[in-house]
Amino acid sequence: MDRRYDAAPRLDLTACDREPIHIVGSVQPHGFLLTLDAGSLVIAQASANAPAAASAGSGLDAALPELVSVVRRYLDAPPTEDHGAHYLRTVTLGGDAACQTYEVAAHRVGDLVVLELEEVADPDVDAGLDAHSPRLRAFVQRLRLARSIEDLCAIVAEDVRSITGFDRVLVYRFDRDWHGTVLAEDGNDTLPSYLDLRFPATDIPVQARELYRRNRLRIIPDAGYVPVPIQPALTPAGKPLDLSQSVLRSVSPVHVEYMRNMGTGASMSVSILVDDELWGLVSCHNREPRRVPLQARNACDFLTQIFALQLFANERSAQAEQRLALGAVQSRLLGFMAEEDSFVDGLLNHPDDVMALANAAGAAIVTGDRCRLIGSTPTETQVRTLYDWLASRPDEVEVFAEESMSELLPEADAFADRASGLLAISVSKRYASYILWFRPEVVRTVKWGGNPVKAVTPGADGEPDRLHPRKSFEIWKETLKGRALPWTGPEVDAARDLRTSVIGIVLRRAEELAAMSEELQRSNKELEAFSYSVSHDLRAPFRHIVGYSNLLKTREGANLSEKGQHYVDTIIEAAFSAGTLVDNLLSFSQMGRHTLNRIAGDMNALVEEERRKAMRDVPAERKVRWEIGPLGRAHADPFMLRLVIENLLSNALKYSRDRTESVIEFGRLPPKDGEAVFYVRDNGVGFDMAYVDKLFGVFQRLHRVEEFEGTGIGLANVRRIVERHGGHTWAEGKLGEGATFFFTLPLRGEDI
Amino acid sequence: MANLKPILLVEDNPNDIELTLAALEAGQLANDIVICRDGAEALDFVYRRGPHEKREAQDPAVILLDLKLPKIDGLEVLAALKKDPQTRAIPIVMLTSSREETDVVRSYDLGVNAFVVKPVGFDEFFAAIKELGVFWAVLNEPPPHRGGWPSNV
Repeated sequence: MDRRYDAAPRLDLTACDREPIHIVGSVQPHGFLLTLDAGSLVIAQASANAPAAASAGSGLDAALPELVSVVRRYLDAPPTEDHGAHYLRTVTLGGDAACQTYEVAAHRVGDLVVLELEEVADPDVDAGLDAHSPRLRAFVQRLRLARSIEDLCAIVAEDVRSITGFDRVLVYRFDRDWHGTVLAEDGNDTLPSYLDLRFPATDIPVQARELYRRNRLRIIPDAGYVPVPIQPALTPAGKPLDLSQSVLRSVSPVHVEYMRNMGTGASMSVSILVDDELWGLVSCHNREPRRVPLQARNACDFLTQIFALQLFANERSAQAEQRLALGAVQSRLLGFMAEEDSFVDGLLNHPDDVMALANAAGAAIVTGDRCRLIGSTPTETQVRTLYDWLASRPDEVEVFAEESMSELLPEADAFADRASGLLAISVSKRYASYILWFRPEVVRTVKWGGNPVKAVTPGADGEPDRLHPRKSFEIWKETLKGRALPWTGPEVDAARDLRTSVIGIVLRRAEELAAMSEELQRSNKELEAFSYSVSHDLRAPFRHIVGYSNLLKTREGANLSEKGQHYVDTIIEAAFSAGTLVDNLLSFSQMGRHTLNRIAGDMNALVEEERRKAMRDVPAERKVRWEIGPLGRAHADPFMLRLVIENLLSNALKYSRDRTESVIEFGRLPPKDGEAVFYVRDNGVGFDMAYVDKLFGVFQRLHRVEEFEGTGIGLANVRRIVERHGGHTWAEGKLGEGATFFFTLPLRGEDI
Repeated sequence: MANLKPILLVEDNPNDIELTLAALEAGQLANDIVICRDGAEALDFVYRRGPHEKREAQDPAVILLDLKLPKIDGLEVLAALKKDPQTRAIPIVMLTSSREETDVVRSYDLGVNAFVVKPVGFDEFFAAIKELGVFWAVLNEPPPHRGGWPSNV
C-alpha cells in the first residue's frame, strides 16, 4: 500500500475510490467480533482477539452462554426501524482479576448474525441514555433559537464535544461537488483550528461517503492500533464479510495516515443526513487515543439527527425566505419597468435591485445594438463574447445558469475574476436580447476565519504532507479555479420570473405598438384618401378660377375698366397662391408617406445640381456669390435630401435678393454626436431670434406676403425630412444681418 | 382635312374641357378635337362602337386622358388600349390634376407616353396644352401602318 504513495498525490487519492473499505477483513482491537449462523448459533468466524472458547466452529451456548438468550430474542424480534448495529446488553466476561465489561451489539449480514463485543473502559461511568437527556433537552431548546446554519452547527459542535470530551469537534458541510467546508468548530486549543478550511471531494472517497450514509457513526479510539484479522477470512458462503454496519470495523490505512498527519490519536465522525442525503459530517478528534462509550455515541447520533431535522426545516425556510425576498425585489423591478417606456430603462435606473435579484456582483443588459453594464462585470467586448456565445447556442433555454463559464467557453478564463458564474435569460428571441448576471470566481472570495498557515505541518522533506488539510486546501483551490458560488434554486427561479415579466411587458408593448400602428395605418390611409381628393378636387377649382380669369383678362379685357382689370388680376393672384398652397401641402404630406431610401452619395454634386436649378429663376442681372465648401458624402434619401437643399437655397436666394451682392455659403462642420452637420448661410434680411421657434412650423411666416412670397411650408418640409432621417435642424440669425440654417444627418460607421 | 387625325380629349369636367379647348385653340391646330366625357365613351370611340360606329376608321393622333372619369376611369382606359396590339401605338398623355406619385408610377407601368399635371398657373397651363397638342398632333411621327385593315390611315 505504501508504495502507491510514490505516484502523484492526486492519482493516489482517487485510487482510494476503488479501495474496498467495507470488506477490510479486520477489526480494531478495542473489542472482538463473532459471526454466527442465524439458525444454529454456531460461530462461523471470529476476530483473532476473541476468547479462545469463541473460535470458529463452536456453538454460542458453549462459548458465551450469557448471550444466547439476547441473541435469540434479537433474532425473533429484529428491530425494524434501523438496519445498523443494535445494542443488546452489557456483559462482563472473565474471572475476578481479568474481568472485562463489554457492550454487545448485533446486526445481520445475510444468514449470519454479527456480534460485536466492545470493551467498556469504565463501566461505572456509563449511566445510559438517561444521563444525557437534560443535555439533549437543552440542545433542542438552543437549536430553536439559532439564527443561521453556522449557529446551528456551532451548537452541535459544542454539545458533541461536551458529551464526548474530544479535543476538537468540527462540523462540515459538503457542497454540490462534495467539496467540504468547515462551518463550525469547538475545541480546547490542543489541536489547530480548521474553521473555514475547505476540503476537496477527494478527501472522502465515494465509497466512504456511501458508507457514511449507511452507517451514521464511526469511531477510531486509537489511530495507532494494530488491525485484528477475522478468521477465517471468508464467510461460509465463501465471501468476504461485509463490515458496513460494524462498529469495530477496521478503517483504511490511508485514513489512519491522514489522522496521524493531522496529529490526532482518536477520531469519531457522525454523518449528518438531510433528506437521506449526506449533508455533512460532525468530525471529532483527540490528540491522545480516546474511547467513547456506546451510550455517549448514541447520544451524539441522536443529537445529530435532531440537528439534521432542524437543518432541513431551516434550509426549507431559508429558501422560502430567499424566495420571498427575491419576490419583493422582483415586484419592485416590475413596477420600475412598467413606469418606463422601455423595460431596459426600468432596470438600468435601479441597478442594485437588478443585482440583488440574483445576488450577483454585476449584470448586463444586452440587445442587438447596445450593451449596458451594471456593477462588477467583464468589459463590454467580453460581455459581447458571452452574448454571442449564448445567442449561438442551438438549444435555447429560458434560463441559463452556470458556475464555471471557463469550462464551457475557454475565452471566459480571461474574466474568471468577474464572471465565472453566469446566469442569463433571453428576453427576446427575435432581437436576441439577454439579461446577464455575473459572479466572481469563488477562490477569491473565500473567507478565512482560521489561519491556514498555522495548520501547515511540514513533512520530512519540509513540504506539507500530501495527506494533510493544508495540502487538501491546495487541491481544493486547484479544483475550484474558475468557479463561482452556485446559483441557488430561488435565484434561478427569480431570473425565470423576471424573464416572464419582461416578456410580458415586451409583448404588451408590442401589442400596443401593433394597435398603434394599425391606427396609424388607418389614419394614413385616410390621409392618403384625403390628399388624393384634395389634389384632384380642390386643386381643380383653383385652376379653373385662374384659367377663366385669365381668359376674361385676355379675351374680354378690352371691355373691362381699369378697376375691373385690377380685380381680375387680384382674383388670378389669389387663386394662384391658393392652388400653389394646395400643391405645397400635398408635397408636405407626400413627404411624410414617402419611404426612406438611404443611399450614400456626393453632397457637393447634389448641391451643385440644386444650385444651378435655383439660379434658373434668378434674373441675370442679379449678383450672387456662392461659397460652397467641401461637403463630403452623406447617407440619405437623395430625392428627399434634394428637397431640403432646394428649399434652403431658394430661401437664401429669396431673402437676400435686396442685397447688391447676395453671398450664399454652403458648408460642413466637424461631426457632432455621430452626426454630420451642414449649414446654409446667407447675407439676407435675417430674422429676429425671438421668432426662431416659428421658423420651422407649417404655415409659419415671419414676413408679409408683399415682402416675400411663400406659403410657409418650405422649412417645415426641411425639418420633416431631416427628422425622418434621424437628424435635426436649427437656425441662427439676426434681423438685417442674414441667417444660417443648420441640419444634421446621422453618420454611418464608414462615414465617421 | 380628312387625313388629319383627330385629338381625343377624355375629360368629364366641363370647365376643364373649355379651358383645354381654349388652350388648344391657341395652338392653332387644324386637327379635329373629339371630346369624350367618360372612359366607356372613349373606348367606344377608339373601337368605333355604339354612337361612334359610323365614324371614319382613323386612330386619334393623341388621347389626352384625365385620370378620374365616370364609368371606366383613366387608368383602366390606358390599360385596355396599351394591352391591345391594335391600339398600343396610339399616344396617350395623362392630363390630370393628380400629383399622386402612385398614379404616375402606375401610368408608366401601363405604358403611358407622357404624364402631365395640369399647372395651376394659366400661362403654364396654356403653354403645356399648346405644346402637347403641337408635339403629338404635328411633330410626332406615328409608327408606320403595316398593312391589314385601314384602321390607321
